[in-house]
Amino acid sequence: MASQQPMTSSMQPTDVYGGDEVSAIVLDPGYSSIRAGFAGEDLPKSFVNSFYGVQGEKVVFGDDFIHNPLANLEIRNPMSKEGLVEDWDTSTRLWEYAITSRLTTFKQADPRTNGLNDDTKDILVEAVDENEKALEEHPLLLTETAWNSAKNREKSIEIAMESWGCPAFWLARNSVLAAFGSGKATALIVDVGASTASVMCVHDGLILKKSIQRSPLAGNWVSSQLRSLFSTVEPKVDLSPHYTIASKTQVDAGAPSQAVYRKFDTEPSESFRALEEERVLTEFKESVVQVWGGPGKLNATNQSGTTNADYIRSQPGRVFEFPDGANRMWGVERFSASEGLFDASAALPSLNSADPPIQKSQTIPDMLRTSINAVDVDLRPTLLQNIVVAGGSSLLNGFNDRLHNEVSAMFPGARVKIHAPGLTAERRFGSWIGGSILGSLGTFHQMWISKKEYDEFGASIVEKRCK
Amino acid sequence: MSSHDVRDMLDLPGTAGPRPAKKQKIAAPRSTLKGLAREVQSLGGDNPIAIVPEISVFKKRRLANRKPAAKWEYRPFRNSVRSDGLILRHWRRKPEVPPAPAGEVGRENEADSQVEEPIDDTIFAKFNVQVQVPEYNDEQYNAYLQNEHWTKDETDYLMGLAQEYDLRWPVIWDRYEYVSPIPDVEEGDDAIIPAPKVRSLEDLKARYYKVAAAMMIVHKPQDRMISSEFALYETMLAFNPAQETARKKFAENAFQRTREEAKEEESLLLELKRILARSEKLNEERRELYARLEAPPSSGNIGIYSSSQGLQSLLQQLMTVDKSKKRRSLIGPDGASPASAGPNSLQQGFDRRDSSMRESISGPSGSAVKKGAGQGPTERRQLTEDEERTYGVSHPTDRITSGPFFRYEKLSKPISLKSTAQQAKITNTLNELGLPPRLIMPTVETGTSYEVLLESIVKMLQFRAVSEKLSGEIAVAKAHKAEREKRERAARGEPEPEPEAEKTNEEEAGGERDAAADADPEAQEDMDGEGDVKIEEEQEKSAALSTRGGSAHKRSASVLSTVSDKSTKRQKK
Repeated sequence: MASQQPMTSSMQPTDVYGGDEVSAIVLDPGYSSIRAGFAGEDLPKSFVNSFYGVQGEKVVFGDDFIHNPLANLEIRNPMSKEGLVEDWDTSTRLWEYAITSRLTTFKQADPRTNGLNDDTKDILVEAVDENEKALEEHPLLLTETAWNSAKNREKSIEIAMESWGCPAFWLARNSVLAAFGSGKATALIVDVGASTASVMCVHDGLILKKSIQRSPLAGNWVSSQLRSLFSTVEPKVDLSPHYTIASKTQVDAGAPSQAVYRKFDTEPSESFRALEEERVLTEFKESVVQVWGGPGKLNATNQSGTTNADYIRSQPGRVFEFPDGANRMWGVERFSASEGLFDASAALPSLNSADPPIQKSQTIPDMLRTSINAVDVDLRPTLLQNIVVAGGSSLLNGFNDRLHNEVSAMFPGARVKIHAPGLTAERRFGSWIGGSILGSLGTFHQMWISKKEYDEFGASIVEKRCK
Repeated sequence: MSSHDVRDMLDLPGTAGPRPAKKQKIAAPRSTLKGLAREVQSLGGDNPIAIVPEISVFKKRRLANRKPAAKWEYRPFRNSVRSDGLILRHWRRKPEVPPAPAGEVGRENEADSQVEEPIDDTIFAKFNVQVQVPEYNDEQYNAYLQNEHWTKDETDYLMGLAQEYDLRWPVIWDRYEYVSPIPDVEEGDDAIIPAPKVRSLEDLKARYYKVAAAMMIVHKPQDRMISSEFALYETMLAFNPAQETARKKFAENAFQRTREEAKEEESLLLELKRILARSEKLNEERRELYARLEAPPSSGNIGIYSSSQGLQSLLQQLMTVDKSKKRRSLIGPDGASPASAGPNSLQQGFDRRDSSMRESISGPSGSAVKKGAGQGPTERRQLTEDEERTYGVSHPTDRITSGPFFRYEKLSKPISLKSTAQQAKITNTLNELGLPPRLIMPTVETGTSYEVLLESIVKMLQFRAVSEKLSGEIAVAKAHKAEREKRERAARGEPEPEPEAEKTNEEEAGGERDAAADADPEAQEDMDGEGDVKIEEEQEKSAALSTRGGSAHKRSASVLSTVSDKSTKRQKK
């Protein structure tokens, strides 16, 4: 009956898809951004930059504040390059900001009792108390990486239960959630984020630990490749972020820029500049950088006897104008920055000579191979048919084609199918969406770690329950 | 193009009836159009101008619902499968409450108090299902589950994992990190503790299934299991880790094939498919050919149908076949032609075609049909020796005369051919031995030994009879002797008080003895009748088995021959 009639607002959603929303909050922190929102919604309402600014004593969060070129603004990130929380105090505040700024700030209370109408001080104090426990009404679903340490996990439940007063809590792996976001319980997850790329197998919603593979060859690594590229191309590209430019004039392609630079009394900090440069690079990655879709590697020779790079040279390039007005056509170079993700030998030498050269085993196809060889052979065909691609850096143009070609060449006998959401937002927020689905399922409510259980067993319960 | 042309192309009659009606139709809407000048209207020619009504409102306004908007409330609920009584809240439609005339404040209070009362259970509680993992205690472990490769501790660990991961084997294997209990194990997350044994997935499965099967049989004996349980039990027992490992290895090899190998295999498979398809066809043809060859020769029978009377009878016969297709018994056991028609017609078309063909050809020659029904020699499966033993198939060298018979029939035949008195005796002996008169399970082995037993029983009875007879004769001879002595004594003049009857008795006995010496069976009969009852019963036997055994053999031989005569007669029928 339910399927025949159109949905009306008076119908219980339970009848349709097994959902039972309890206004749980899903929090998905990553190296570059924090996603937060209510479970059951299709996209996170709150999207906050993971970088935060420190101005002397003051700490500022959010894109509205950290992009001001202030003299004493230091930019930091509470997460390590591996996607683990390092600075718990700030992380807590940052996450709290992500939740309260968009999700729970405007807590509507009864006008007769919310204290707005009378001005006794006692009530105000009470209100402050209430605000301190930000999530008293909301169960919290927090995500973590597959390689999170036990200490970190216990810390996170402590924060949720004690600082935020959550009635219930759950810690889920973001790769599992990415699989759920694609509607799969068994999948091979290729998650290419900002700081880490990881490949792992998920069986029935449980990560197979032996199959976890990760490497730093992700979005930020592509940025560093771009820096190498900019320093080697002729003419060299001077990467000056937007805030340094007072005005620019249009110049011809390849001509030096004629921009007027801003003068600062005291230059903004290095970390601020790095953040702003990263923004320019991100734009460049989004609009220019491309992955050679295959078949074969970029430098491989194709059937007609020429290399794939030669073929690209014959194709039109792309123009990109930097903030200072300098612009040029990007031909085959736009492929070379990302080629290292798939072909270690094609990676550009790093500018920072301290960085170790990347290994073949760090490239995505090799990680996939290692990962899938670490699981039972019976599972492999299923996994290859359910490769789920997630993470913002996987949005590089041509990434999926290349991945498909590489995997098909690697396992010619198997059927390879790659599931990558077409919508940009769904790819970027894949794990959050999975969390949103999980948290709104009626059957999930038996799994929450409740406050009572936490009080009874302590923080170690998270190790026991969230596997 | 006019409709005439269309009709021409479609080969339809030139002018059709509906035409005038069509014209009317066109005319009808034209007249109804209003607010349009005739000139404008005529611009459209034959086709009326389409007039699309202009709709000024995008959507019809929803009819004002007289009822007030549905009320929703943020209702708490609990989950009965949670032990901690966690109460979460979700939005649910408020059940319709009769409108309370009280003020707003009163209502609020009411709602608040209602929240306290009933807390629903979530409907999703029923989805919390757990797997049943075998449980055992120390005693049971020691009794049934000892294994040299597994300690109890590790088995416990395995069972724990199986429970924890709901028997998801890949996960269990993935997370299997058993550390034998050493007092000071470091509890670091990254501390690498060398695992003493690397367990393969098959090891884990084999152990689990073994334990599960053992505990299953402990909790419920095999004969009390229901079929599904027993099937599960059998499956668990049948788990073969070596085979599984080999299979995995094979799968792994197949998985690691290169593209060329994969292609080659694909083409080979295609070839195989083609060959198989072809062979199927070939087999079909071959079978048909055999069927044709097997069809009974029609030469001898055609003569019957050469006359019109014969044809008439054939027709009659066919009619009866049609009528009695349902049942074979109606046609009678004399094996008339349609004997196989009834049941065969229900079989596949191939058979039916065959039999019908044969019917028409063979006519009254029933035996041929009977033979043809047996699908031909190629169809018969060759049995191996083991199977032959299992099914009790034998290839007797001696001639079986009477066609098929039941084994117990064969066994009871030697008994039933004896006289009732003999039968009773044999049965008595069998009873003494504690054997039933008829074998419960007449297999070949038991049958042969039963036959041997019967033979020896018969022999034993014969010997007994002979011995009894001999002792009887001895007694008579003794009596005779005593008589003679008496007579001699009487001759000598000794007084002898002898009754008359005894004398006659003695005389008769003497006569009998003579008769016995002559080997006359009738005389013997008389003697036995005068002797005690047992001997009388044994008359035939004793006759047969008296010291002149030749006649006994003769007799039994004749019995056999009559039997065989009978059977041959029956067979002939």
